[in-house]
Amino acid sequence: MADFVRTYNAVLVFMAINGVLAFSMYAVLIAGQLSLAQAAFASIAAYTSALLTINLGLPFPLVVVVGVSVGAVVALLLGLPVLRLRGVFLAIATIGFGEMVRIVALNLDITGGAIGLRPIPKVVTLWQAYLALALCACFFWRLRPSKLGRGLAALREDEVAARAMGIDVVRYKLFAFTVSGAMAGLSGVLFSHFTRFIAPGQFGFERAVEALLYAVVGGTGHWLGPVLGGGFLTFLPELQRQLGVEAGWLRPFYNGLILLAVVLFVPGGLVGLGRPLGVSRRRRFGAAEKAAPSVEAASPAGPSGNGPLVRLEDVGKSYGGLAALANVGFCVERGEVVGLIGPNGAGKTTLINIVTGLTQASTGVVEVRGTRLRRTPANRVTSLGVARTFQQTKLFAHLSARENVAVGGHRVARDTFLRRLVFVPGARRDEASDLARADRCLAMVGLLDRADEPAERFSYGDQRRLEIARALCGEPALLLLDEPAAGMNHVEAQSLADLIRSIAARGVTILLIEHNVRLVMRTCSRVLVLDFGRLIADGPPGEVARDSEVIRAYLGTSADQPSSVPEAGP
Amino acid sequence: MQQLVNGIFLGSIYALFAMGYTLVFGVLDLLNLAHQAVFMLGAFIGWLLAVEFGWPLWAAVIGAVAAGAILGLLIERIAFAPLRGRPDAHFAGLISSIALAIVMVAVALGIFGPQTLRFPPGSFPSARVSFAGATVSVLQLVILAVAVTMMLGLNWLVASTRLGRAMRAVAENPRAARVLGINVERVTLITFMLSSALGSTAGILFALAFNSIRVEMGLAIELKGLAVIIVGGMGSLPGAMLGGLLLGLAEVFSVARIGSGWRDVVAFGLLFAILLLRPHGLLGRKRVREV
Repeated sequence: MADFVRTYNAVLVFMAINGVLAFSMYAVLIAGQLSLAQAAFASIAAYTSALLTINLGLPFPLVVVVGVSVGAVVALLLGLPVLRLRGVFLAIATIGFGEMVRIVALNLDITGGAIGLRPIPKVVTLWQAYLALALCACFFWRLRPSKLGRGLAALREDEVAARAMGIDVVRYKLFAFTVSGAMAGLSGVLFSHFTRFIAPGQFGFERAVEALLYAVVGGTGHWLGPVLGGGFLTFLPELQRQLGVEAGWLRPFYNGLILLAVVLFVPGGLVGLGRPLGVSRRRRFGAAEKAAPSVEAASPAGPSGNGPLVRLEDVGKSYGGLAALANVGFCVERGEVVGLIGPNGAGKTTLINIVTGLTQASTGVVEVRGTRLRRTPANRVTSLGVARTFQQTKLFAHLSARENVAVGGHRVARDTFLRRLVFVPGARRDEASDLARADRCLAMVGLLDRADEPAERFSYGDQRRLEIARALCGEPALLLLDEPAAGMNHVEAQSLADLIRSIAARGVTILLIEHNVRLVMRTCSRVLVLDFGRLIADGPPGEVARDSEVIRAYLGTSADQPSSVPEAGP
Repeated sequence: MQQLVNGIFLGSIYALFAMGYTLVFGVLDLLNLAHQAVFMLGAFIGWLLAVEFGWPLWAAVIGAVAAGAILGLLIERIAFAPLRGRPDAHFAGLISSIALAIVMVAVALGIFGPQTLRFPPGSFPSARVSFAGATVSVLQLVILAVAVTMMLGLNWLVASTRLGRAMRAVAENPRAARVLGINVERVTLITFMLSSALGSTAGILFALAFNSIRVEMGLAIELKGLAVIIVGGMGSLPGAMLGGLLLGLAEVFSVARIGSGWRDVVAFGLLFAILLLRPHGLLGRKRVREV
């Protein structure tokens, strides 16, 4: 054993260093961001730490702290402007940044230019490298089940929905980016103080791609993935050498093939292959089920202040020259169940998007619970106690039903990550109560028995119910339902009506957008009708159903066929 | 004046390369990071045909273009087609195309080795033309002519042909295009082939212009190509042309002013400025995001 360690010391240390780099990529991938600046962060930290060691002779632990901080700060500073960019643009911006860093390192005197820096004392020992790796792994092990970890997963699955659940998307991305920078910095410090020599070429685009390779091949579904990916792919060349196959092109060749195969056929990566492991873990988290999911009211957020819950005054919205809404004004009072109907393209979803902060009104005044919305981001509106469902369901497809609903509870859940990280027992209690709350909401919509299944496996109607449960988990004062009955059959719509009534009975105010007029007439105490962006009727269901303008809008004829609009139900 | 001519010359090659990039992005909303490998292989295949097989230069160039189209077909089939319908197709496509690029570069390394290949002396006509105080070789003129012809040809194709109309329809809304009877699969495949043909042409022209072919040549231009399409506006063909020319000129003049070591900082400085100030680029369209 001792012999083995001595012979393979270098390989073993590199397995750990590359694992740390893989974790830095993992940090952004789990938030759904593809950044390729990892090598640049590592490079900046490697140069800084090497210069500190060479010129000032600082002790190694201090150098590590400085290197990690430098990586984190640079990542934060880069993240502030670039994280507004989506998908490919973020990837391109970070590639550009990486290239800039390389060019700067190549041209400065202090970095030694193309020749690089040497000699750097070799101080990293095997156990230190693995301690660093273990710390990174521990960080993500503690992160995943926390509120923060759940939020990052939600962000990865669907950014718009995550924002609508109250998650401050920008802050979450910055967190992921900063962690990524810190870990990249750590790998850079370890690298420079092990190889004794650094040059700009070691931190180019290829190195960033290596980080991606390790993280993706290892798998992003579990915190062990980067350890596996970094270890496996660092060990392979050694194996190849043992077998006596020497060819410079062979290593990139099989690396590329492995990456390609993983992306196409095993998106879960190496850890995804060990599925049973994941399942047994999931079971233990099912412990929350024991918290007696007796159908008890998910108590809505208490009233704050007086006046209407929602007040719109003279609201208009235009896209280019097209007016989607014009002069719309109404109030929703506490405890009401208001239906909003209108033909396709009447502006119903636009209206909901304005009330939830996903879009801004072009003109007019929008107030939610007494707060006037002026470019207020959706997550802030949510924190006022507004929850919504989407016309086209926006569930977090790969998360379990329970996790989906728990993300919906973002507004009322307490942060647990920092306490989890240091194993404070209160964190576990808070998490159990979050999951218990999620279970109560699942029970309300009748999906508790399928809490562990991923959302994508649910039928269309069940997905709609799951969205309602998710919205309820934030204990909203106002619930906006965007065509919840679309695509439902008669029986499902009937049970949906019962569900809406039972939610209303708990004191939640509801704004229901629906095409199914029968459902609206049955559940709502008041009905608004939009037509071509204008409000043409506002009143009790019976009255609205007889309104001649409403009938004309729906049927395009004069009011001589009043019987065609369904009467208010029982 | 000489600088201006050199800048336009370099810029036309950048533009040609970037148009291939932006074509796939504009039509299919995918970023194909294997494009650089096509550029590199185009140069190698051209060299192989001209030097090893003894083809005349013009035939070697055509051969490289055709090979590029085939590579495009392979890239689409291997790295992108299997992902279709997956919710993370954009993300995964980015990664799978990087993976395929790694494989292609490794294959080139295995076949051609790490050394720089050159065309033997006397391969090119040596005539030179002078006008308005600048000197250009006939070879440069021919390269410029090929690049400009291909750019105009592509613009015409997209703007005025039935195929171009189908491509624009797919770009607008693939599902609606399918409903209207457009064979989206076929349009996708052709888009990739055209894109790669352009990339491969840029590769062989670059090789002729600088008489230097290396396995790493794709990487440098990949990063510049990204800068070009960002500056010009993602998905905009005229934007890619404008961006290519701008970058070519900026590089040539910055070498003269601030030294060759810092040349590439200009490209990425430009990239950052545009990304932060005008993310849809100089000539790109703003895309309205659906909620």
